Amino acid sequence: MRFMMLMIPKGYETAAPGTMPDTKAVAAMMKYNESLQKAGVLLALDGLHPPSMGARVSFSGGKPKVTDGPFAEAKEVLGGYWMIQVKSKEEAIEWASRCPGGDNEVIEIRQVQELADFPADIQEVAGKFPELQAQQRKGA
Amino acid sequence: MRVMVLIKATRDIEAGIMPDEKILTEMGSFNEELVKAGVLIGMEGLHPSAKGARVKFSGAKRTVTDGPFTEAKELIAGYWLWQVKSMNEAIEWVKRCPNPTGAEGEIEIRQVFEAEDFGAEFTPELREQEERVRVRMVAKS
Repeated sequence: MRFMMLMIPKGYETAAPGTMPDTKAVAAMMKYNESLQKAGVLLALDGLHPPSMGARVSFSGGKPKVTDGPFAEAKEVLGGYWMIQVKSKEEAIEWASRCPGGDNEVIEIRQVQELADFPADIQEVAGKFPELQAQQRKGA
Repeated sequence: MRVMVLIKATRDIEAGIMPDEKILTEMGSFNEELVKAGVLIGMEGLHPSAKGARVKFSGAKRTVTDGPFTEAKELIAGYWLWQVKSMNEAIEWVKRCPNPTGAEGEIEIRQVFEAEDFGAEFTPELREQEERVRVRMVAKS
């Protein structure tokens, strides 16, 4: 089963453009990342620049509306993620618990949808898009 | 540059309501355009937060809470990873997206950290370590 571990660092919602993590935090995180990789569970990971360097597009009334970050109403924002391959949600929780997270951090664990998880009629629609399937096989 | 394009969950999505065939077909066509343009690097949908959990950190203590996370104002339902020349290019693509979640849909675009974004705090040793992890990670997947 694949899970995403979503890192939600409190305060990142107001971080200025160009904010960098501190060296000690990076070093501890790199050790953790290496442990995930050595255990053979790590599929992907990325860090994200703060929302002040991002944008949002909303679709109310059918028309797209663009808002540049930061986003005043946001109480939680994504700081980065890992994608892991494990046998169960419990195993994913164990791995998340080993993360050297700080007191201002929360990791949300979410199960990734596999094509086989969907009902037959949805799988059929997916079958209509050969380029996409090839892309997914490449990346998977 | 790479961007992560986050699709925000709606109540319907969190309730496990599947999108209809029309929107799925439109999304499929959009995704194929992204592939043909060399933009699409990856994408995934996430099961509703009811199948998830949260881990809260406090010193050495870990507090685990099972989903769903009904108080969370913003949950993620899925994402794309795109290779683009600029935030403007990413925004233009998002504006063309067939609204994936319906009327109140919202998509957030975030820039992904690359090694060259980091300064001296990302020391040569750490860079080497990261490179090792990434190479082996890709080899595994």
